[in-house]
Amino acid sequence: MTNLELNEVIHQPVRLQIMAALTSMEPGNEVNFTYLQDVLNLTSGNLGAHLRKLEESGYVNTNKTFIDRKPCTFISASEAGREAFKEHVAALEYILNSKEG
Amino acid sequence: MKINQNEAEEALETINLTIKKTRRAIAQNGTYIFLIITGAVWMVGFMANQFLQGDILQYIWIGLSLIGSALSVLIGSQMVQQVRGELTKIYGRRVGLFWFLLVLFGIAVIIVAQPANGKQITLMIVLLVMLGQMAMSLLFSFSSTWWSVPMAVLSLMGYYLFPEYFYLWMSILVGGGMVAFGVYIRTRW
Repeated sequence: MTNLELNEVIHQPVRLQIMAALTSMEPGNEVNFTYLQDVLNLTSGNLGAHLRKLEESGYVNTNKTFIDRKPCTFISASEAGREAFKEHVAALEYILNSKEG
Repeated sequence: MKINQNEAEEALETINLTIKKTRRAIAQNGTYIFLIITGAVWMVGFMANQFLQGDILQYIWIGLSLIGSALSVLIGSQMVQQVRGELTKIYGRRVGLFWFLLVLFGIAVIIVAQPANGKQITLMIVLLVMLGQMAMSLLFSFSSTWWSVPMAVLSLMGYYLFPEYFYLWMSILVGGGMVAFGVYIRTRW
């Protein structure tokens, strides 16, 4: 018996990559939207849609700002997002190591 | 929500690949530009060392250093900050301090060792730069460590095996190697 459960919001393939990328950074660091788009090889519409879903769940924070008078959005994983992602990874590892398959 | 072991394995593999890719991309962000600039400066400068003599070499190196520094500052200042945060700022300051201290140590080593000729000074500088690059790579991105080691070995080989063509060797293999690696990071990595 285990209380490890997969997180349906995070498990979607694109959101899984987004959360993996964001949680791989040091806590407190935030990444530029366009840079994240390049790293994950996504269109801005696709990334934006999945980020909205993650933001609604409280897993990511977005910070809209201006750099040299140009609008710029920075994204980071929230503390709740980091915790949820950690639990999701633990659940995946549990399934992988369980004998039943 | 139920998934089988294969799906769990695939998901974990995706996570690991994404983490690796993100960390490497962040660590290498902008590195290629400085590799290409430094490599190009070394290519032209060492080529001049091989084929020219006299005071003109001083002026060539001063000119190349000024152009290289100006380009690095200009490009660096125009690069959009991709990752920001308190820790990133602290690391940035530490990296800057490290290179500044390495330059001071390099000057001290050259004063104490009193190299006999330009080739020895060149080799000392190149070895110190490669040591600095290796230290940075080990701290921030292990995957990019390997290139500074062969560059250092190639420089030593050139110095001991082909002293007559040392500068040509440095220009093509070390300077050219840096340019090629910079282009590779930009296009393939």
